[in-house]
This record gives sequence, structure tokens and C-alpha cells, in this order.
Amino acid sequence: MQKLGDFKLPQFFNYPPYFTYSPALSAVVAHALAHYFNVLHSEMNWVEDIPPQLNLLVSRPVRDTREKQVQLWKDFILDYCKTQHIFVIELEEEFPLFSNPVIERSLSHEARKAFLSALVTEGRAEWLDKGHRKCLILWHRIQDWADIILRFVKDNGLEDGVMTIEEIRSGIESRGTELHGIDRTILMRALKLLEHKGKLAIFKGTSTDDEGVKFSV
Amino acid sequence: MRRRPGIGGLQTAAAARDQYRLLGENVAKLRTDLMKEQLATFRSQLEEFARKHKNDIRKNPTFRAQFHEMCAKVGVDPLASNKGFWAELLGIGDFYYELGVQIVEICLATRSHNGGLINLQELCMLLRQKRKTDREAVSEDDCLRAISKLKILGSGFEVISVGKRKLVRSVPTELNKDHNEILELAQAQGYVTVDEVEGRLSWTSGRATDALDTLLDEGLAMIDDGHKDGKRRYWFPCVSSISSSVGADI
Repeated sequence: MQKLGDFKLPQFFNYPPYFTYSPALSAVVAHALAHYFNVLHSEMNWVEDIPPQLNLLVSRPVRDTREKQVQLWKDFILDYCKTQHIFVIELEEEFPLFSNPVIERSLSHEARKAFLSALVTEGRAEWLDKGHRKCLILWHRIQDWADIILRFVKDNGLEDGVMTIEEIRSGIESRGTELHGIDRTILMRALKLLEHKGKLAIFKGTSTDDEGVKFSV
Repeated sequence: MRRRPGIGGLQTAAAARDQYRLLGENVAKLRTDLMKEQLATFRSQLEEFARKHKNDIRKNPTFRAQFHEMCAKVGVDPLASNKGFWAELLGIGDFYYELGVQIVEICLATRSHNGGLINLQELCMLLRQKRKTDREAVSEDDCLRAISKLKILGSGFEVISVGKRKLVRSVPTELNKDHNEILELAQAQGYVTVDEVEGRLSWTSGRATDALDTLLDEGLAMIDDGHKDGKRRYWFPCVSSISSSVGADI
């Protein structure tokens, strides 16, 4: 089984068709439309998605194939990011998952965007920019991160304590926990969530290095 | 019998004919009786054999297949019902029933990948993986028998031959001759291109595209536009070798 570093790659990764965003329309319909619009059959790739009302233009197996492909890639991306502690994927940069040199296939830009968008729809990712070039991956949801922080606080007897943001991310106590090296944006969001619940107060210092938290758990 | 002229001679001939006919009937009856007796003896010997080798039949797939053949020769079907002598003696009715259920599960789980057509070898492999903890080994012959029982239940299962392979169909999709030819062509590399189909089978471009479109819409083919030569490839999961299959998390 192929590995990427220590990560065991799923079998679909070696099957070329999974690197082509599978069609949204039934082939027979696409062919008919191509005739109607007088374009080449092979140019009918512009159809990225079909609104549910037009599902009659899509055969059940075509829909199933598309759903299966999206699900496989979503799970793969989340799994990989979780084990490798990756928080941000940049669409324009090379990301090991998006290409398989062994079978000489790469996901197109549209495909990458489609799979990441699917993660966003499911609440497991967020676009960081309007142009949808950077994606924040929530392999733990913000709520889960909040729970992890609370556990961290209890484990270290910080119920009434104070800690800087940086210490939470990279201090000695964080070593060996999932908080170590956490993305700053995600951490701030989780902390703000806990602030809303009255579990802590965020205060600014003289610089971002001094930004800290007073816990009241 | 000496021929005698006149009426007396005619009567003798008639009597002779009757006697021959009776003899003939007796001989036929004798033959049938003999055969019935031989068959009965053979069947009881078969039962004795099954009793003695019950464990071998359960544990060894090759032995099991040969046993089935023997039974078929004398018109005995150990799987005909879940009750009765054979089922109780061997308990293999349950074995095939269980296999059938697992086969259905595997076909359902892989349907979104292969469109409801799976090659027998792969099915067997997935079955063995699924039954890892069970002591009884499973052969392709066992799979085929379990599937033939499924067929009787009217579950839409069918085994079709395409080229050198056997494919198990679990959906009502009807494949015509054109589709079969494409599947056979795809066995070489796991995929075909439109050019290949046209060239190797001497078809018009329309005929090739029509067939491939249908196979796509039935979920039996998947599109690959990623090759550097820019030619679209149609891959067929049902003929691919095991290493490139997507075994569902079953």
C-alpha cells in the first residue's frame, strides 16, 4: 500500500477516474444538449452542478458516482489534515493529496475547489478569502476545539489562571496535546466561543505576543 | 419354432409375437428395476459418504465442489431446502444462505463504485476479507452456488461471462452485445478510448459513443480526462484487477 510519509493512502487514490470530477449530467442528456447547442460532446464539461429540480437529467447511478467520489475525497482530506496537523490548504499551492505521480494524475482546479466547497458546506472547512483560494480545514470543529481547551485548562489546574495565546499554542503544557501548534485563527475562534459562554476573558497586551486569556472555568 | 402353413401356422405366429412382446416388456421392466435399485444403492452410499466426510465437506472448498458434482449426477440437491436429511446432516444450507446474505451486502456496498457489476474474483476476495474470522474457507464455486440460490429467490442476481471473466450482476441493467464487447475490450487495460472501440471493433463513432454513454449512465463506466495525451478514457471498475478496486468499508 502506497504511503505518503506515514499516512496510509486509500485505494481509490490509485484509480485514475477518481481524479476527474465525475459528470453532473447523464451522458445521454449531455450528448443531446451538445447537439442542441451545437458544441462538441466533449466540451460539455462546463456543467459543474445541477439544481435538485433538474435531477431528472441525471441518472441515479451518475448521481451515486458523483456523491461517492466527493465523499471519498472529503474523508481523505480531513483524515490527512488531522494526522499531519495541517490547518490550511492553499488551492494554488502543491498539496500532496491532489496529485498522484505514480498514476500521473492531478485534480483540476475545479475539482479541488469542488471537494473543498463540499467540506465547507458540511461545516468542516471555511474559505479564508473571497476568491476561495485559501481554505481553513476544521478536522475538529470549533466546538470540539473549545472542549479540548477546557480539558487542557482542567488538566493543568488553570481554572482561575492566566495564559498568553502563544503559551496555549506552544508552551510546555501544550506539548503532547492537540493544542500544540494549533492554527492561530482556529484557536481565536474557539476562545471567542468560550468567551461568549463566560468561561474566559480575552485581553490584549502591548503586542500580539502578549495577547492572553483569563480563565474562569 | 417351426413354420407351419395354414391357419394353424398363423395362430402360432400370433402366439409367438405375443410371447416376444411380453418378454420385451419384462426385460424393460427388469432394466428399470435394476436401475432404480442401483440408484437407490448409490444414493445410500452417497449419504454414507457425506456422513463420514462431513468435516471435509465443510472445511475444504475443493472437496465440497466435487461432492456437489457427485450429488448432481444422481439428482440430489443438498441445498434444495433448509430442512430434511441433507441440510441437517451437513448443515451446509445455512452456510450458503449466510454467504448469499454477505454477497448481497458486498454488492450493495460497492454499487456506487462499480454500478452493480462486480467481477467474481473480486467478490470472492471481498467475501474472504469480510469472513476473516470464520473457520470455513470460501471458493469461487461456493460463491456461484450461493448466487444461484439467490437467483431462485428472484433477487435479480445473475452471473454473466465477459471474455475470460465472470461478472456478478446485482442490478436489473440489461447489457446488450455492444456493451459486452466493450467490457471485453476493457479487460486488457481496465479502460477503453473511443478511438480504440471504433478501431478494434470497426464501429462508427456514433455507435461507440452511444454504447459508452449508456454504460456511463448505468454507472458501469467512469471517466478519466487526466491522461497527458488528452484522450478521454472510460474505466470499468468491474473488470479491473483487485489492486485498483475500491473495496468499500464493509
